[in-house]
Amino acid sequence: MPDRPNASELIEAVFEFLASEVLPTADDQRLRFRTLVAMNALGIARRELESDTVLLDPGQLADLAARIRAGETVELGLLKEHVAAKLRISNPAYLEKYE
Amino acid sequence: MREALEAKLGPISSAHLLAGGASKEAWAIDLADGTELLVRRASVGVIHRDTLTLEQEFQVLEAALAAGVAAPRPVQYLGDVDGHEAFAMERVHGETIGRRIVRDPPAALPLQLAEQLARIHSIEPLDFLPRGSAIQRFYDELDSVEEPHPAIEYGLAWVRERIAAPDAPTFCHGDFRVGNFAVDADGLVSVLDWEFAHVGDPVGDVAWPIVRAWRFGADERRLGGVGEVEPYLERYNELSGREVTPEELDVWEVFGNVKWAIGCLTQCRRHLNGQDRSVEYAVLGRMAAEMEYELLDLIEHA
Repeated sequence: MPDRPNASELIEAVFEFLASEVLPTADDQRLRFRTLVAMNALGIARRELESDTVLLDPGQLADLAARIRAGETVELGLLKEHVAAKLRISNPAYLEKYE
Repeated sequence: MREALEAKLGPISSAHLLAGGASKEAWAIDLADGTELLVRRASVGVIHRDTLTLEQEFQVLEAALAAGVAAPRPVQYLGDVDGHEAFAMERVHGETIGRRIVRDPPAALPLQLAEQLARIHSIEPLDFLPRGSAIQRFYDELDSVEEPHPAIEYGLAWVRERIAAPDAPTFCHGDFRVGNFAVDADGLVSVLDWEFAHVGDPVGDVAWPIVRAWRFGADERRLGGVGEVEPYLERYNELSGREVTPEELDVWEVFGNVKWAIGCLTQCRRHLNGQDRSVEYAVLGRMAAEMEYELLDLIEHA
């Protein structure tokens, strides 16, 4: 175990720094946009660190991709579940559009 | 760079780099005589392999203008400007940020888009424009990513079964969507960003603005967050003499999501391979999942 703050807490600290000190003082439109993108990236990293569920491992993904390329039929529901699991890390709010 | 530009354009009173423009720099340049220009200059690398050079893009703008399209007037091809190819064009006014446009879209915009697109598809295909099977191109691009994406494979396979080769190869804009239009209170001012112009199936352009990502959150308006699809499609068919069906549009909407998912992955590789380090490109790799989910959902309900 590392000393506190752990990786997730460090990410949170940088996120808060960007949100409270960089963003309010950034006048340049490009800099503001990139700061928001950076905050989004930190959010993804933090959710990934705190998540322990992997639905399909890289080997299974490569196998599925190759089978589809070869013309085999695969179950759409499984693919949707796999992508939903990715979205719960990358952009959980996005999934709400489909509810 | 200022000196290099002044040598070609004359005295400059102000120059600043604008936001946006992923593969090319865009500079707002004011000449001392009051002329407002936008200078497009190559930055590092290209997004897709088939993107145009700036010299070609300049010629495309000339062809668009000649066809009566509302495009920025090309002013001067500048050649090498401080180590990078560049050209100058008219700086058009109007809102280009998608999120702002969809907040209160002008009522006239959907039909104006249809009218512009019909004109764009009447432009004579220029010899240098890329052509060939769009599906094969995107298979190649997906392979270049070197990461398994079964959802995208599923989408490509589904689309491949449903898309035939176009009857007549047509000039296509290649990135016709909200975010690449300048818009004011009255509607469309100008169609921008011609670097993905190619020769292919015009239905690709008709369907591209429908893709969810280009609705900028205004999902209740399927046409780019700005209006309904039906009147737009009807007007396009009327003016172009084509008979694009809603079913074709549905297939190309799926293909649009496939294309943008792959576009996100390839742009992210520019960051990962060190070609163009940027946090914006980096996060695109994780955004591709949004288009993957959308394309699976569209197919499920087709």
